[in-house]
Amino acid sequence: MKKGEIVFFGASTAFFGFMLIQAIGLMGQGRPGEIGSGLWPFLALGASAVLSVVLLAGSIQKYRRAAPAAEMPTPEALAEKRRQRLTVALSAACFLVYMIAVPWVGFILATFVFIPAFALALGERRKTVLLIAPVLLTAIIVGVFAKFITIPFPKGVGVFAEFSRLFY
Amino acid sequence: MFDLYWQAFTTVLMPQNLLAMALGSLWGLLAGALPGISTSMGVVLILSFTYTLSPMTAFVLLIGAYLGGITGGSITSILFGIPGEPSSVPTVIEGYSLAKQGKAAYAMWVYLLCSIFGGLFSVVVMIVATPLIANFALRFGPAEYFALTVLGLSVVSGLSGGSMLKGFLSCFFGLFLATVGTDGITGEERFTFETVTLLGGINFVVAMVGLLAVSEILIEAEEPFKEYKGGVEYRGLMRELPPFSLFRKYWLTMIRSPIIGTIVGALPGAGATIASFLAYGEAARTAKHEPEKFGKGAVEGLMAAESANNASTGGSMTVLLSLGLPGSNTTAMLVAAFMIHGMQPGPLLLATRPDIIYGIFVAMLLTNLLLLVLAGTAIRLFLELNRLPYSIFSAAIMILCVIGAFGISNSVDDMFLMFAFSIIGYFMRKCGVPVAPCILALVLGDLAELSLRRALLLSGGSPLGLVASPISIVLLAGALVSIVYPIFKKPKMLAGA
Repeated sequence: MKKGEIVFFGASTAFFGFMLIQAIGLMGQGRPGEIGSGLWPFLALGASAVLSVVLLAGSIQKYRRAAPAAEMPTPEALAEKRRQRLTVALSAACFLVYMIAVPWVGFILATFVFIPAFALALGERRKTVLLIAPVLLTAIIVGVFAKFITIPFPKGVGVFAEFSRLFY
Repeated sequence: MFDLYWQAFTTVLMPQNLLAMALGSLWGLLAGALPGISTSMGVVLILSFTYTLSPMTAFVLLIGAYLGGITGGSITSILFGIPGEPSSVPTVIEGYSLAKQGKAAYAMWVYLLCSIFGGLFSVVVMIVATPLIANFALRFGPAEYFALTVLGLSVVSGLSGGSMLKGFLSCFFGLFLATVGTDGITGEERFTFETVTLLGGINFVVAMVGLLAVSEILIEAEEPFKEYKGGVEYRGLMRELPPFSLFRKYWLTMIRSPIIGTIVGALPGAGATIASFLAYGEAARTAKHEPEKFGKGAVEGLMAAESANNASTGGSMTVLLSLGLPGSNTTAMLVAAFMIHGMQPGPLLLATRPDIIYGIFVAMLLTNLLLLVLAGTAIRLFLELNRLPYSIFSAAIMILCVIGAFGISNSVDDMFLMFAFSIIGYFMRKCGVPVAPCILALVLGDLAELSLRRALLLSGGSPLGLVASPISIVLLAGALVSIVYPIFKKPKMLAGA
């Protein structure tokens, strides 16, 4: 993850640098002893920015040192890494789509579709699990959280709202 | 005093609180027993649902989850050889070896009895020590509070794992996150970028759920799930009850280990893992009976690790209730729970809400006893749950995270904020940046800033006002030692953990 670290600490340097500029805008002095709204975030962001730069420099140095000596990864290792990344990307995408879908199609339908989709993304292939789990899990979740704890979940819009109203 | 205890007992023994205790303990045991879920994840997942509960019911539930998580970590350690929690590694070494020798039920008894003994011991210490420390801390002013929060934040060194720089980066990021929203003193907006969602600041629970729970699932998603088959044979707990003479034989370990656990638990940044390793190491070093068995199924090692492990909870809670300092991300969540219910943990709480503090004492006492029954009877259930499809289990956790984030203020924006934190948390973990210091700083940041600003106002802007009292100097010196000490002396025992 050396290249990844360079990107991560590069991005964190940029983020904290940008926020630091915002913090400077908040600096001000009022009554004697009043340090204003900006000093504390300025200190936190300043330290974060400095640490990000140090860690970025360290990562670059490590990468440069390791690069000539590093062996080429085997095709199997590369394929495994690709599989891992794909699984995480698919899982995260499923999760994001689920959250986007909830206000539009309602909590029940979105949850019912999300469960098998997420399980598939994680590599689940057993048909019985993929068929039974969404029904059971959605029923339990709606029963406990919508009916018992009465959390006002989004019902969706149009026909989806009508469908949701049948259950909660 | 007696009235307070009587009132606390009657409150905790109310049906809804007993139900919360049982549910919280079961959930905690499950979270601890399943390798994919940590105690902190278990606590944060139910933290989101405590908004609508009464404060006492919420704390009973959370304490159940906390103590259950610490206790449950050893179930899979003994029966599968897989540590449910990092603190259970010594239990794997000795408990699993015993189980492989056909003594699974025997090892489970020793683990359960010692865990509960350790837990109860530390609760008694907590009951005695909390009022004493809290009374002393009542003389704290803003400067002392600032020094106290610095001491609390200094645990970063203990929570950083590999790189301390990365730990500090995480901590400062948390401090920054705590500043987002409307400034409590001037009313000025900070880093809100004119969005209404950020006006009230970043909700702890939303950030915690994203950074801790969802990011953990994404990390776990990288590895294909292994089903835990081939564990040792377990025929039931009633088969091999250990004789009382066993505990008499190892009386010194039974006394020493909970003391180690309670003290280590009270130290900022230390916790169950260091406590169990230290007690285990001490038992191995001083073993008089069968020292050659260490590493191959030594009952004494199992006793030491388990009693210290659970004793750490009382130590952590003592510091939390008396000073308001969370020593780990799990206790940081309990601080968040206090804030959710409009309370600030610390010395004043004992004076303003003694019902809550004494209720927590009683709840911890009863939960430890309940865990003995629950863990004993539900072992088979946890073993079966370990065979559930992990993909479905993960999906269920993700949905719980969404419900948790949404349920706080019924806001869809909070769900997206939680998602953003989960992605940040994932990349932080991938790059070796620990998330625990960020959570701790997010919880303590507001108090640290307010105390600093009030202290400076009182001293007319002079930074010397921060070190004007001996208490501040001692606390700041403690923070310095807490930061510097691990740089020079890393606990050797933990190297391989």
